[in-house]
Amino acid sequence: MEGKVSRASRKLEASPIQELSQLAQTCGAINLAEGFPDFPAPPHLKAAALSAITADFNQYRHVQGICHLLATQMKGRHGIAVNALSDFVICCGQSEAFAASIFAIVDPGDEVLLFDPAYETYESCILLAGGIPVYVPLSPPDWSFKKDELMKYFTSRTKALVLNSPHNPTGKVFTRDELETISEACKIMECFAITDEVYEYITYDRELHISLASLPGMQERTIITSSLSKTFSVTGWRIGWACAPANIASAIRNIHVKITDSAPAPFQEAALTALQSPPDYYCSLRTEYEARRDYVVQILSVLGFQVRFKPKGSVFIFAELPDHCELSDIEFVKKLIEKAGVAAVPGCGFFHTTPQPQDGEKYQRRYIRFAFCKSGETLSAARQKMEQCVNEDGQLSF
Amino acid sequence: MILSSPFTASVAHHYEMPLSLRSFTSLNRALLSSSSPSSLLLRRSSLVPTMAASTTTTVSSTDAAPQLNQSTPSPPPVQVAKRLEKFKTTIFTQMSSLAIKHNAINLGQGFPNFDGPDFVKDAAIEAIKAGKNQYARGYGVPDLNSAIASRFQKDTGLIVDPEKEVTVTSGCTEAIAATILGLVNPGDEVVLFAPFYDSYEAVLSMAGANIKCITLRPPDFAVPLEELKSVVSANTKAIMINTPHNPTGKMFTREELEFIAQLCKENDVLVFTDEVYDKLSFEMDHISMASLPGMFNRTVTLNSLGKTFSLTGWKIGWAVAPPHLTWGVRQAHSFLTFATSTPMQFAAATALQTSDSYYEELKRDYLAKKAILVEGLEAVGFVVYPSSGTYFVVVDHTPFGFENDVAFCEHLIEEVGVVAIPTSVFYLNPEEGKNLVRFTFCKDEATLRGAVERMKHKLRKR
Repeated sequence: MEGKVSRASRKLEASPIQELSQLAQTCGAINLAEGFPDFPAPPHLKAAALSAITADFNQYRHVQGICHLLATQMKGRHGIAVNALSDFVICCGQSEAFAASIFAIVDPGDEVLLFDPAYETYESCILLAGGIPVYVPLSPPDWSFKKDELMKYFTSRTKALVLNSPHNPTGKVFTRDELETISEACKIMECFAITDEVYEYITYDRELHISLASLPGMQERTIITSSLSKTFSVTGWRIGWACAPANIASAIRNIHVKITDSAPAPFQEAALTALQSPPDYYCSLRTEYEARRDYVVQILSVLGFQVRFKPKGSVFIFAELPDHCELSDIEFVKKLIEKAGVAAVPGCGFFHTTPQPQDGEKYQRRYIRFAFCKSGETLSAARQKMEQCVNEDGQLSF
Repeated sequence: MILSSPFTASVAHHYEMPLSLRSFTSLNRALLSSSSPSSLLLRRSSLVPTMAASTTTTVSSTDAAPQLNQSTPSPPPVQVAKRLEKFKTTIFTQMSSLAIKHNAINLGQGFPNFDGPDFVKDAAIEAIKAGKNQYARGYGVPDLNSAIASRFQKDTGLIVDPEKEVTVTSGCTEAIAATILGLVNPGDEVVLFAPFYDSYEAVLSMAGANIKCITLRPPDFAVPLEELKSVVSANTKAIMINTPHNPTGKMFTREELEFIAQLCKENDVLVFTDEVYDKLSFEMDHISMASLPGMFNRTVTLNSLGKTFSLTGWKIGWAVAPPHLTWGVRQAHSFLTFATSTPMQFAAATALQTSDSYYEELKRDYLAKKAILVEGLEAVGFVVYPSSGTYFVVVDHTPFGFENDVAFCEHLIEEVGVVAIPTSVFYLNPEEGKNLVRFTFCKDEATLRGAVERMKHKLRKR
């Protein structure tokens, strides 16, 4: 009865990632693969959730206050004026906000542009909606793209462009110049932009996240998606949102209502507390993550990884294997788990394009993604374990 | 690892602000008209024909709230996907906002105005305190998968593998969406029984399914067996069942289920069965299709925590199905929401491990509430159809002289101060539901009595 599975979901295969994560579990490896924290959520947030449950905020809800707080933030940080009454859809995580947005605007046959490497879930949503993902490659080592090249990927069937910034897996933060290029293209081709801004508060070196919707002519065609998860270390609460002009938000809302109908009620209440966190909170968040980034960049460099691009945002570092290493990324991660007891993610799963000649053929099998949203103890322990497997040059070698 | 995983009917929701400022009577017109001009502007790119069912009710751009900031340039033409033709702003939103405006007692929305049991809430609190706040395993926290499997075994006698045959989702609503999107191809024929919970039709149209609808009719809403037989063929992909049934309260009998099972086996058809009200079965025992001989291998059984434990806002649901069907459900689920609320899953595991006395008390409480409502409705003058399960009752409102259900409900809110749901929204052809409205009794007794009093005093035959 395998024939009973829908064609769309059959296209979505189990990735080698699953096998590696099984292996990591079996070996009890330190997990620098998963993009969620192993340190506790902020106490003031947990307290708010507990109060909500006790105070009986447990039935279907839409907590309008969240929208007002988000609207204020958007105005303050990005200068985007949105209507709190009509422009927001509160969803079960950014995951659902993105899925609902795709289903709201993508028809079978529509093309959707994505920058490559890309978080793999975007493509799956697009395929499920009958759309066609089209990848725009970012070139290593700094993951840039050429202005004049971008337009070549648009066709008359392009419905939308997906922008994830700060970017998973590379840690790139798209610059104003790049955003201007993207916005010009979207305006000329009259297409939507869907942004994934979940790492919006996690940027480094005084780099600021710029929201694409804040550029001239973009608000009217941009769907912003984000969530509490990464900013507040509550990835398991499933509180996210989509923000778009009222007509489009209405369409997204209508889909959302049929997919889950409501985000978990007590956590919506707690979101009110989260979104009223003082500026200090966001400062510490950035400072602490920056320290972790610096630590991990340093360790990996000492161990022989080529860190030619220091992440400017997100909780990931996309490091290239040492020059001398002949293993592929998957083989390397397998050894890393088995011999060093540390798990990371092979980069190949994020790439979907054929490499450009100028970028060399093999780079897509040469990257490993490490997550540093982990406690100091965890990162330190990971370092110690990897140091057990170095050769006489002090480089990680299997 | 990359964040991907392998592997109710919730009826009403409470919006604190109205989504639309359109008046209720214009909604009436939109609901009852078979088509309205589309204000969706066509793109210059080629149109891909949709395979959705033929009745169209389009979302017009006036559904959205007007922009408050008049100086922003007008937005580009709404280029929403054609699948949205089936996605109306829901009736529940409209009713809820009208109810607030008129201070009406809301017996429309299908969620309790009392809260869930302390022992379950305490379990959630403990989980949050213990730091269970990060992504759960995509298809469910192991404790919950096990608890679901155990409960399923107690209820049906079937032993299922919690790892391979149970998938946790954000409510049964998502389980339905994941099942349909994961298992139904564009053009597949799916049989639906009207009246139906509104997400079924919407999600089936998202999947591009070809809907074959069979209407259940009063007084007993029995399945018209011969009509069903004439509609099912080797081309049928699946039959969707909801038992106990929202809105009618009907429960599918053993004979009906066996008849359906036979058709499924003969024609190699799947069954998707929504059983969120299984613990609210009053007049007969709930029977799960999956437990019939030869049916487990072709059935997806859907359920949730919300109705049984009065915690509808927690969004914990699940699908139980053999591995080859679970695969599709999990695929779709992983891209719809990826993972389900972690602390609530731990609490749900605790809830499902509770003894049978909880369920017995639940039934007793609901039976008492039902008695208050049904006696009241009969005394007022409605024709009340027998409801065997769920916390809903449908009645015929025509003794009061209104032309249709929407007009009646409007009057009931504005002049009497009570909310019911017009059932026409639950049919492919709204005309079929125009004589019926749905009341719910998932409210505390004082609320129910209050509503009955209002109707006794103010509801008059015209």
